[in-house]
Amino acid sequence: MPIADSIPTDLPTTNRPINAGASMNDNASRLDGVAKVTGAAKYGRDVFPANGLFVAFVRCPWGVGELTSHDKDAAAAVPGVIEVEVNKKDGTYHGATAGYVAAESHQALQRGLRALNCKWKRKAAKTRLEDEIGEAPPVGEAAAAILKDAELKLEAVYSTEVQTHSSLETHGVSIDHKGDSAVVYASTQGTFSVRDGLDDAIGLKRSQYEVVCEYIGGGFGSKLNGAGKEGTTAAKLASKYKRPVYLFCNRAEEHLDTGNRPGSRTRVSMAFKKDGTILGGEVRTWGSVGPNKGGGGCNIPGGRYNLGEVKKEHEDVSLNAGMPRAFRAPGHPQGSFAEELMLDEIALACGLDPLEMRMKLIKAGDIKEMAELGAKLIGWDKRAKTGSQTGVVRRGFGMGVTSWGRFPAKTDAEVVINQDGSVEARTGTQDIGTGQRTMVSIVTADTLGVPLEAVSVRIGHSNLPEGPGSGGSVTTVNSAPAMMAAANDAKAKLLDAVAKRVNAKPEELEIKGGVVMKGGDKVLAWKDACAALGNAVVGKGENTQQTVQADKTKGNSNGAQFVDLSVDTQTGVIKVNRIVAIQSCGRVVARKMAESQIIGGVIQGVSYALFENRLLDRVTGAMVNPNLEWYKIAGPCDMPHIEPVLWTKGATGPRSLGEPPTIPTSGAIACAVLNAIGSPVRSLPLTPDKVLAALEKGRPA
Amino acid sequence: MNPFAIATPDSHAAAQKMLVGRSYKLPVLKGAGIDLVDHLKEGLAEPDLLIDVRRVRDASRKDAVSAEGSGLRIEANATLAELVDSSLVKERCPVVGQAVANAATPSVRNVATAAGNLLQRPRCWYYRNSQFDCLKKGGATCFSVEGENKYHAIFGQGPCHIVHPSNLAPALMVANATVHLIGGNRKSLPIADLFHMPDKGVTSEHSLEPGEVITHITLDAAAKSGFASVKEKQSFDWPLAFACAALSLNGDTIKSATVCAGAVAPVPWMLPEVGAALSGVKITDDTAIQKAAAASITGAKAMTDNAYKLKLLPVVVMRAVLKAAGRDPGGL
Repeated sequence: MPIADSIPTDLPTTNRPINAGASMNDNASRLDGVAKVTGAAKYGRDVFPANGLFVAFVRCPWGVGELTSHDKDAAAAVPGVIEVEVNKKDGTYHGATAGYVAAESHQALQRGLRALNCKWKRKAAKTRLEDEIGEAPPVGEAAAAILKDAELKLEAVYSTEVQTHSSLETHGVSIDHKGDSAVVYASTQGTFSVRDGLDDAIGLKRSQYEVVCEYIGGGFGSKLNGAGKEGTTAAKLASKYKRPVYLFCNRAEEHLDTGNRPGSRTRVSMAFKKDGTILGGEVRTWGSVGPNKGGGGCNIPGGRYNLGEVKKEHEDVSLNAGMPRAFRAPGHPQGSFAEELMLDEIALACGLDPLEMRMKLIKAGDIKEMAELGAKLIGWDKRAKTGSQTGVVRRGFGMGVTSWGRFPAKTDAEVVINQDGSVEARTGTQDIGTGQRTMVSIVTADTLGVPLEAVSVRIGHSNLPEGPGSGGSVTTVNSAPAMMAAANDAKAKLLDAVAKRVNAKPEELEIKGGVVMKGGDKVLAWKDACAALGNAVVGKGENTQQTVQADKTKGNSNGAQFVDLSVDTQTGVIKVNRIVAIQSCGRVVARKMAESQIIGGVIQGVSYALFENRLLDRVTGAMVNPNLEWYKIAGPCDMPHIEPVLWTKGATGPRSLGEPPTIPTSGAIACAVLNAIGSPVRSLPLTPDKVLAALEKGRPA
Repeated sequence: MNPFAIATPDSHAAAQKMLVGRSYKLPVLKGAGIDLVDHLKEGLAEPDLLIDVRRVRDASRKDAVSAEGSGLRIEANATLAELVDSSLVKERCPVVGQAVANAATPSVRNVATAAGNLLQRPRCWYYRNSQFDCLKKGGATCFSVEGENKYHAIFGQGPCHIVHPSNLAPALMVANATVHLIGGNRKSLPIADLFHMPDKGVTSEHSLEPGEVITHITLDAAAKSGFASVKEKQSFDWPLAFACAALSLNGDTIKSATVCAGAVAPVPWMLPEVGAALSGVKITDDTAIQKAAAASITGAKAMTDNAYKLKLLPVVVMRAVLKAAGRDPGGL
């Protein structure tokens, strides 16, 4: 039965068991959920080895600053201060590092930093993308030719602001250095890349140190930078003093100097016909980056719609501000915001329903199917014509689409079956928060044919089998097949041993529900089968670039999202009522984890759409909101009812799920706002001041 | 953060003696400590003694809120949550409960105190960041004038452009409240006199003398009163603008009205023009109420990034009045 038909659309929308039966395990809850909420789970930031040093960076307080004086002797004289290093005189952004202080305690460290008494001379700083773009060049010749004879044209500029990752656990490491060995407790998306990055700094052989990342309090791409300067600085000091070192950023430093999603300006000059056919034109984007170029990409056109012949130009624009880093679908949300709102503006100009118009433009067949289902689930038939409402509170509907590729990453895994029947599943890749432990456990138990409780999971250690960094939504895609291969290998070894004992051929045996069976009859209980082993068996599995690329059946992760919201036209406040998020995800391992991925992506998208904005002081270049008070992130009362739909149709293996669900949310919200109030708000975040200004300005000509 | 001592006096009189004692150079009173800890962490305050008055209350006063004549008495250490939950407040002066229910988060409201809410320092991002040597910290510049002022004041001549952070204060203003003190020459102070504009002293927002301690607050009944605000986020955010209104009605005609705005000026900002325009207006007359609310921006002047507040203020004033009148204020 097509999935669209299997989902009831006539029931109340809350708590509908939408995804029953969609996964290998519908009921398993996050294995470490209780540990996380009770504090039993120890993050790197929670590890304070005895006799450790505390280290913090000296940082430039202005957009551009020159260090004119400091008092190294006074800082070094503070009781408990061990080392003071100032190695730079110039800072080119707020938060740029210029040295460090190491001390016996956090308190001594703070006193030392203050005694250092750095005096920075402030200089003019570049703080605004729009100010630094300069005069935009005219539309290029090819696009001008398309635009010249067009029935209809849209010229518009869309903008987004900088979003910081705002990981709750800040960046850093805690290194328990014991002289001739060390354990590095890192908050990272790449356990193995931290290990690789510390080779020189830590002064030990790889066989002498281990990187541990059992849990991460948020990363979203910002913790893919290997050891980082936090790790290498801490490691050098640990190596020098043969002592533990603790170096974690504080909240302000986390905003300033650990990456961000760059801001963007997108100028579209598009030609289209009255029937909604888009002929093409030009899209010119600018991305706000740090003092150096790079990382400012803005992904429009996103390749999901037929937009005719589009000439694309892009330029990174330097600001005196912290540099971008990969952020959950880098370049995509900002591009998707502009693209989706552009489409709704074109539909409005043509007098077309934006869903109907999109149906002709969407390239992928499954996205069209998802759009049909999404329209039913959100109640698209209740959508009023754009600009037709007159009440104080107006309702709006909007939609957006998404897609993501499937990327290979080499992964090794092991499954150990012990003689007492216990099973250990081992792979070194960390859990960025997606539920890696739970996934590994389910795949292993399912493959072996034993209950979930029989399997214990070890992940997030650099002395375990090597796996990928959590970036590009590759973790489950690549580690599930490796885990399955390892479990199959271990099972084969076990069954070999059992077969000899019970006078059967191994291929005649199977394991179901923790029992070894032959031809439907019970042969041995799992425990007795394992007791027959001479040594524990170790099954090995791997997933290679070749195996991923060879499998053509496992392709993109596509999706569609639908938004229902209300706008208070007197105050400009937006209340998002519901979001339906349909996401193809191949074979789902754990339903709750998968739904949680989609919900999390939507939450981050809502927050990006409505609130988040790194604000630089236009005079001093300092970030005025390096906190979670004025850097606003959506809270519980801002949450819509979110309905994730797992689209499992026609897929045999796990697909990417981390990044795609956060791509279309902000654009779909912006479209819904246009539908509600009749005029577009072309700039994120969609704050009340901008909504009121759009209402005043009215519908564009 | 430097080491400090914590004292736990058992009465306001004992706390007051510690404030004026000579053994500590910089003693400060601590209520819940919400704002104070922010100051300690950012290095904005370095007291050597915290005098914890969170649990200090007149021995004869069991309840956070009690009846005082036809009005109310609120203890200094009443928590915001206690004000929200109080049936006396709901009955006699609903605007007080509505205003504080809109502040902060449940966990903050469970500990934050009434006196602490009145005396908390502003949330201006330049003031709160120790690297900006602003007027409030004895510096020469208000950085908001040339810089980022989206959340700053639209009233007042400066030189500092903070908005007063208290949700409770404007509610108390429309209920004609009195703040009761010990430790100085005054026994009490009208709530309006507790605050002063920056030109009367920029390093402090209140007019308490050193050594004066708030013991409790009394206020008149304002049964027909209401609150309305606009916030960007609906969880844990500071209002962009809010208003408190108290009406005296004769049937469905407004005899007199008192309206006070918040988040728009360095002090709770009384709106006498609105009150005057509401006098004699029927509570069902939307046009007249809207016209009166439009008077709220008399004398307002936007900074570079906060002109939107000129649009929001009349809306929250109108909604507060409608709510006070028992009508549906509309909106989200």
